[in-house]
Amino acid sequence: MINIKLRGGKSAWNWIWKITGTLIVLVIFACSITINNVTQPASIPGASTLTSTITATIGQVNATQTSALVVGILVPTQWNAANNTTVSFTSTATTGIQPMNLIPTGTPAPTGGGLSWQTDMLNTIGSAGNLINEYEYICFESPQQYTVNNGNNIDVVVTVNIKVSQTNMLFNMAYVVCESTDGLNSTANSQSPSTYYGTFFPPSLRVTGPGTLLDFIDPQLSVITPGFATDNDIITLPFNSTAVHNSLTNASQVFLCATGYTTTGDSIKVCQQTNASQLQSLGGGNFQKSIWPRGLFGLSASQSLDSIEYVFTDATGSVIVGFNGTSTPFSYTFGCQ
Amino acid sequence: MNSMRRLIKINYALLLGCMLFSCRTEHLTPPNEPVKNITGTWGIIDATRNGTDLTSSFDFSGFHIVFTDSTYTIDSLVPFIISHNGKWAFDNPQYPFDLIFTQTDSSSIATPFQFPVANGVRNIILTFSPGCPSNSYVYTLQKVN
Repeated sequence: MINIKLRGGKSAWNWIWKITGTLIVLVIFACSITINNVTQPASIPGASTLTSTITATIGQVNATQTSALVVGILVPTQWNAANNTTVSFTSTATTGIQPMNLIPTGTPAPTGGGLSWQTDMLNTIGSAGNLINEYEYICFESPQQYTVNNGNNIDVVVTVNIKVSQTNMLFNMAYVVCESTDGLNSTANSQSPSTYYGTFFPPSLRVTGPGTLLDFIDPQLSVITPGFATDNDIITLPFNSTAVHNSLTNASQVFLCATGYTTTGDSIKVCQQTNASQLQSLGGGNFQKSIWPRGLFGLSASQSLDSIEYVFTDATGSVIVGFNGTSTPFSYTFGCQ
Repeated sequence: MNSMRRLIKINYALLLGCMLFSCRTEHLTPPNEPVKNITGTWGIIDATRNGTDLTSSFDFSGFHIVFTDSTYTIDSLVPFIISHNGKWAFDNPQYPFDLIFTQTDSSSIATPFQFPVANGVRNIILTFSPGCPSNSYVYTLQKVN
């Protein structure tokens, strides 16, 4: 039985000392990680290798700690970067180039409240201003653990090589450096704000490639995801009604009106304002609808779509909004990388 | 004193006898892993595309697949691994890694297969790309009552 005497006495002092001691221990084990800089090209050709360099400092405050180095990178999902990335580092605590290993998806993060490393980073670090929800964190860990002695800093240079897709895009990368013992110690998981991790958000990366620009950064009325698809994929048509002033800016209901063009030159129009064509409201003037083109346009087994054109309408069908707020339809051409 | 020694000797003899007769050869047979049973009607309860949840933005309620012992029938109302009825098989009935569909008049298609229990309910998790190879879909199926 715990007996705390708050009004003086040995028992109260004993508990005060224990609690204070615990707090001191929590503080002195705090790790300090800073990303000093990230060098990354402003533009690269599609299907080439993006090389970036992270310069970081890992310090330890009044204690010695042994941990593995962890690096996280925010990338577009369509790069399939988990299978197309190599990460290595050099440091003042090691000799030569040290390779890092991919942390498998779903691996729990320490202090992550049960979340994986990838999800913990997404919740804690965020999406770096990318507006299209087709991004992910990929995480890497050094195979060995390293000791950071009391008061000594380790300077680390991490080299990241990612084979990017050929998609024509504009994307905001993000870089995270932390260690395997403390993880992010995220405030998103009710932890105290700390310097357990370092982040860096470089200027936007432009990948030049064929086709329409997939712009993750600038608000647009509608950009279909994924960027590459066939008529047998599920594609998502968003509508950001406030990106450009238009006739549906204040609409509470938005409907899809689309025309499919087959590879044989036929056109199929689906333009009725029904529950089936109504976009789902996401709040804040954002709507979306995911469609399976083969099903929506009722294609036979021998038919294939080459492209679609689409506009958004109100419930009456009389108000039409297309590209840049005009009545010109948005267009999307099917094809794979 | 003699009776005490005799009692100790008898105890030793009894203990030795117990030790000798308590030992016998155990024939342990490992438990036989049951063949995975997926017969029944299954519907989609969760779907992702390239990690993005599609469940709330696309109507998967019309999709059903019915497995019998060796055949399946499908309501092909969503992109799926196959679009016509046919036969199915596991690569290994006891320890399956792949579910193999063979449509009528068509070649076989194998897809990674998982059979986990979540919240006390058996799920089938299938990963495939019905369109572009770069677009990966994960469907979680549950039996329809």
